Amino acid sequence: MNGWMNKIVKINLSTGKQETVEISEDIRRKYIGGRGLGVKLYSDMCSPEIDPLSEDNAMILLTGPLTGIMPTAGRYQVISKSPLTGTITDSSSGGIFGAMLKKAGFDGIIITGKADKPVYLTISEDAIDIKCAEHLWGKDTHETPALIKETENIKNISIACIGPAGENLVSFAAVMNDNDRATGRGGLGAVMGSKKLKAVTASGKKEIKVSEPEALKELLFTLDRLIDKNPLTGKALKLLGTSALVRIINEHGMYPTRNFREGVFNDAEGVSGEKMAETILTGKNACFKCPIACSRKTKAHNRKGEGPEYESSWAFGAQLGINDLETIAEANYTCNELGMDTITVGSTIGCAMELYEKGAFPHKLDWGDSANLVKIVEDMAYKRGILGKELALGSKRLAEKYGMPELAMQVKGLEIPAYDPRGAQGQALSYATSNRGGCHLRAYLISSEILGLPAFIDRFSTSGKAAIVALQQDISAVIDSFVLCRFLQFAMSLSTFTEMYKVVTGIDITEDELLEVGTRIYNLERKYNSEAGFTRKDDMLPPRFLNESLPDGASRNRLVKLDEMLDEYYSIRGWDRNGVPKQETLDKLGL
Amino acid sequence: MRQYKVDEIAKMIDHTELKATSGKKKIRNLCREADRFGFISVCVNPAHVAYASELLAESDVLVCSVVGFPLGMSTSDIKAKEAEKAVSEGAMEIDMVINVAAMSDGDYEYVLSDIRRVVQASAPAIVKVILETCYLKDEEIVKACELAVEAGAHFVKTSTGFGAFGAFEHHIRLMRRTVGPYIGVKASGGVSTAKDVIRMINAGASRLGTSAGIVILEGIKMFRHVPEAWMQPQIPCHICSVRSANMAKLTKGMYQYYTNMCKQCEYQDKYNKFYE
Repeated sequence: MNGWMNKIVKINLSTGKQETVEISEDIRRKYIGGRGLGVKLYSDMCSPEIDPLSEDNAMILLTGPLTGIMPTAGRYQVISKSPLTGTITDSSSGGIFGAMLKKAGFDGIIITGKADKPVYLTISEDAIDIKCAEHLWGKDTHETPALIKETENIKNISIACIGPAGENLVSFAAVMNDNDRATGRGGLGAVMGSKKLKAVTASGKKEIKVSEPEALKELLFTLDRLIDKNPLTGKALKLLGTSALVRIINEHGMYPTRNFREGVFNDAEGVSGEKMAETILTGKNACFKCPIACSRKTKAHNRKGEGPEYESSWAFGAQLGINDLETIAEANYTCNELGMDTITVGSTIGCAMELYEKGAFPHKLDWGDSANLVKIVEDMAYKRGILGKELALGSKRLAEKYGMPELAMQVKGLEIPAYDPRGAQGQALSYATSNRGGCHLRAYLISSEILGLPAFIDRFSTSGKAAIVALQQDISAVIDSFVLCRFLQFAMSLSTFTEMYKVVTGIDITEDELLEVGTRIYNLERKYNSEAGFTRKDDMLPPRFLNESLPDGASRNRLVKLDEMLDEYYSIRGWDRNGVPKQETLDKLGL
Repeated sequence: MRQYKVDEIAKMIDHTELKATSGKKKIRNLCREADRFGFISVCVNPAHVAYASELLAESDVLVCSVVGFPLGMSTSDIKAKEAEKAVSEGAMEIDMVINVAAMSDGDYEYVLSDIRRVVQASAPAIVKVILETCYLKDEEIVKACELAVEAGAHFVKTSTGFGAFGAFEHHIRLMRRTVGPYIGVKASGGVSTAKDVIRMINAGASRLGTSAGIVILEGIKMFRHVPEAWMQPQIPCHICSVRSANMAKLTKGMYQYYTNMCKQCEYQDKYNKFYE
């Protein structure tokens, strides 16, 4: 099939055995690729009771049909069960790894088993080799690719690897690729570490076939114009990166400050995208064929790196009451190098700060104290010292351990990112019903509630929000299955994605069919989670958002009205009052 | 709720590029975009009319030029010459700016003659008369619409996009009510989302001037799914053009005028209810 390399290989690291996995056209049509196909393959292979860090667990790296062709399509998706949340989880990463995997002749790999000793995989044109990685074990995510490149001696190579956090099975470890790109959320780096798999390399020059090459040229012009004309993708993200959001979200009074106790950070100006541009910025970086180039190259405290992007600058900034941009950037570099999710790291430290303030946590951690931040981050990756070990639990387990579970700002164990849900009812519902936990990317309602794309909707109203959240969750599942950057969702409708799909694969799919693919994926994830024991009680926000209003700012005196929206949402979804998909819903979707 | 088709909306949009910094590359993109997305016209400054006409020679997309833009303070002779030249270079539509000061001074004879000169010079092209409504009181808008119709213009249009604020729903309603069903009403300035477009059309607009046409069409496509949810009411003040006015450009008199209008706004109660 055009757009695909038509090769997915399953590798058992316990035995070294490799086998090709056939994917039928029907399955491709129903699940596309990336997240959708990954969730389908994973749920067929691994039971909901599986221990994410066990030898039996599988970890799937997948591209999509548009990978290596469309703007932003250098990405890849990792799918497994999260050791942090226990939910089925996928995480997407930019850069060029996905495109290189396709050029090597593979659509994806499925990794099972566990190696005796550390190994890495080299994927070159039509061949996968398992190589010794003992010399790489303990190296960070910048040293590892540098050493592999030296050994392999291939110019055009992309490398995905874990750092010490993944090796140490930190439950929020990330898989990093192309140095600073991360499949950040959900701890899939720990799954990789549990398999003693240090890295995967991809290199090759194979051609990806396209169904309608002439139509593709015209479509690429259209996509370029859509991206350029959109105020976010064409201007704000281009000029300031994702930190363009700092001022906007702070002005809306929903920039979470000191573990979400406040919604206005008085020092927001000092950590804004504008300030970054004036101080630590040294350049920009772009993923594969991306005209947006949101990534920022920076220099801080004599270290160089990428970021911080919006979520990371918040996690190490306002969430901790820290206003020192250089230290924030350095903590971000450290997270990248050691391979951890910045949101969970920062939010867990913030949780510990509040626990300490309330006398529930014995280790001194003060709001705004940036002096030890970088060392604390390091300690978490190595589970070093008592503090490092405790913080490596993540906020949910930490707060439970110290008797104040309500202080963990998480859903299903995944820390909520940098938008206070009290300022945006739709985003609140999106957090609560996200299949992988407290995540802004399953349905980014900030787009319409704050940024006005595709249109402004009243952020404090609950009316119509359930329908829009369900719609956006399904569209997001589709985009993750094409494995495109979610920023394209700001600029493009589902109809444009159908055009992309057709031009590349020749598959003439309607918008409604495509949306049904998204619905099917979301329901399959939900079904898996339900079987793993997740119910309505897990579609819940921390009590802070339901009972404590923000003291200041443009979202003051607001609470999330979750119950008002949740029943309507379940009804739209065809789920029962407990949040479990009804049999008729599953039957309709062929599940 | 009525669902609008993408083609239908595209055929109502003047795809606009009127910035002082827009060079040939932008005009090339503008024309190619208009052709690709099916907009009714491209609206460009007079200096780009010949180039745009050349680029769109094989296309159905019309070229629209502005005249006396953006202040409307050129003499009628110059406006007529500018229109004539644009039409000779391929413009099929002319958007002229009235002499706003003459309108405020009550010099209606001058305004009528000014418009009539441009209408005559533009034939067979159609003429849209930009009132720059942000600087006019309601009764002046009504009068300006009547003068435009009397002078033979084909459309009345709200704004240049360079004034204190752009298209205001209330003004569109007023203009439509005044000119009746057979004269066009063009909403322009600040029309940047699909929801704006639908609001303006529902208020009576039959043409839309915007540089965000592409973004709008994608939005219309998105509204195909759960349209009622997307069109849920917003806090009226948050979408009111007057509220987002550029204070530096608003005269003291007009500021007071609009502040009084706010106090009598039908949404005063509704606005407060949002904050109960």
